[in-house]
Amino acid sequence: MIPREIVVVAEHMGGELNDITLEMLAGAHELAYSVGWHVTCLILADDPKPFQGLSLTADKVIVVKDSSLGAPNPAAYARVLPRLLKDLAPRLVILGNTSIGIDLAGPLSYGLGAPAISGCVGLRAEGDRIVVTSRLCGGKLVARIEQGEGLVIVLVMPGSFHRELGMRDEIPPFEIRSAPAAVKPLSVRFVEFIEPKMEDVDVRKIPFLVAAGRGVQSKDNLAELEALARELGGALCATRPVVDQGWLPRTRQVGRSGMTVKPRLYLALGVSGAPEHTEGMNGSELIIAVNKDPEAPIFDIAHYGATVDMLELVPILLEKIKEAKGGR
Amino acid sequence: MKIAVILRQVPDVVEELVIAEDGRSLAEDEVMHITNEGDEHALEEALILKARHAARVTAVAVGGDDAKDALATAVAKGADEAILVPIPSEHRGDNVRLASVLSPAMKSAGYSLILTGVWAADQVDAGLPGLLAMHLSVPYVGGVMSVSLEPDGTKGTVCKEFPGSRLGVMEVSLPAVFGIQSAEQPPRYVPVSRVVQAKRTLQVIELAEPPQVVGGMRAAKLTKSSAAARAEMLPGDAKHVAEQLVRILRERGIA
Repeated sequence: MIPREIVVVAEHMGGELNDITLEMLAGAHELAYSVGWHVTCLILADDPKPFQGLSLTADKVIVVKDSSLGAPNPAAYARVLPRLLKDLAPRLVILGNTSIGIDLAGPLSYGLGAPAISGCVGLRAEGDRIVVTSRLCGGKLVARIEQGEGLVIVLVMPGSFHRELGMRDEIPPFEIRSAPAAVKPLSVRFVEFIEPKMEDVDVRKIPFLVAAGRGVQSKDNLAELEALARELGGALCATRPVVDQGWLPRTRQVGRSGMTVKPRLYLALGVSGAPEHTEGMNGSELIIAVNKDPEAPIFDIAHYGATVDMLELVPILLEKIKEAKGGR
Repeated sequence: MKIAVILRQVPDVVEELVIAEDGRSLAEDEVMHITNEGDEHALEEALILKARHAARVTAVAVGGDDAKDALATAVAKGADEAILVPIPSEHRGDNVRLASVLSPAMKSAGYSLILTGVWAADQVDAGLPGLLAMHLSVPYVGGVMSVSLEPDGTKGTVCKEFPGSRLGVMEVSLPAVFGIQSAEQPPRYVPVSRVVQAKRTLQVIELAEPPQVVGGMRAAKLTKSSAAARAEMLPGDAKHVAEQLVRILRERGIA
């Protein structure tokens, strides 16, 4: 019997595979190993060289080479992928639940007539069924989705599988292909990347971070949190809603589209813990969360938690830290 | 230029979420609904474009009675037209179905631009904007942070976000569908009195479901995620919590 196929659509930037690619390979391998399936890592690029000789956890690496695939242009990917996937005829296609993957989910789901399951944090095979665990509603709910026959597309949440397991000791067979169809003309033209201006503090380098979530309620309340961060010798960072309000610069945003931080202390104040935020901070050494909602998913990953009003807590905490320092 | 914005009613995740007896959906009557956050940003971006290009903005609200409130709010904020798409509660969150319900009307109205949130709170599928773009055979870009349009309406330029606060600039030929991550400015506030007023004079066009509707997959089981809570919870009032936190921080040489 021909082994069933899993295709991981790699993400890369500047000639390097993103962490999510290794995580997807780890997830694919875990499933494939349990049922004897076969994993192909599919890389769409303008230059295959940087990807040659990588010891990826895959049975095969295919690089599809085309000059239009140098940048993550969703139209170019959407042009190339359906034909390729039809040829490879996989049972499962794995994308990242990332800014690249979310652009491909619709075109592939519709184009291949297959369900696409987003927010995937767990993946396994039960007999002939593929069983996906997904998070929704800001991480408060977990859905179990079962798919019997036919192609399934899943979008894997960053941080759901161990990146280290996406590499191993042997180098898999490597194949370079040209695009299966003419890629141009395209309805989307990738112009350029704009790098963030780093005139502000770089929160990735700060050991103690105080994070302001939606619970901060107003810009005025940020001043007290800022004072607390300063007293700890750290800096203030935030979740997306706070940054979207314009209360802090975008360089202070932690999460999927913002910064990934691993400080010694991450004090999350009024942060609910939606997956798109936690994937940017769940590697922190010590996570303390304060949120009035006892069901807030941030408590799933925090080491310590409290459900008091953080606006009431912060001034008292600031005072007590000053006292503690003075008493030294 | 005509712009459509799709506003979906989704569970308010700040409130308690109650799972229905079937174990695979939310208890309709016990869950608060709000307009999906990304969709609010899509409306804001549309209104910004309206101010720049004298565009006509159509608000398309999906859901039950609460969707009518979303329409009144959208009109009070500056939308020109209101369309209601009634969707039974058991099909909420099924974007495959929603794309199939919406596409005939979206196609015949000839919008240059269709905006909606890049994802919805209750989503487990591919997401509405990408699926809708496929139905309409037009380009799609998601995770969009800003849109600018050529005056002749043939082309738009978007900034799409990538990890590390990096932005990708892309030129897209119109018509197109964009999945909005956040608007160039926070969604505008409109006083309740203006919403009430808009509600009184609101003209809603109700969209009938097309004969051929395709549904997507459903969860086999839905559970709350906090079962495996790992945090050690600190008891007491704010003062007591502060004392415990200082002790924890001191033990680790932080404070």
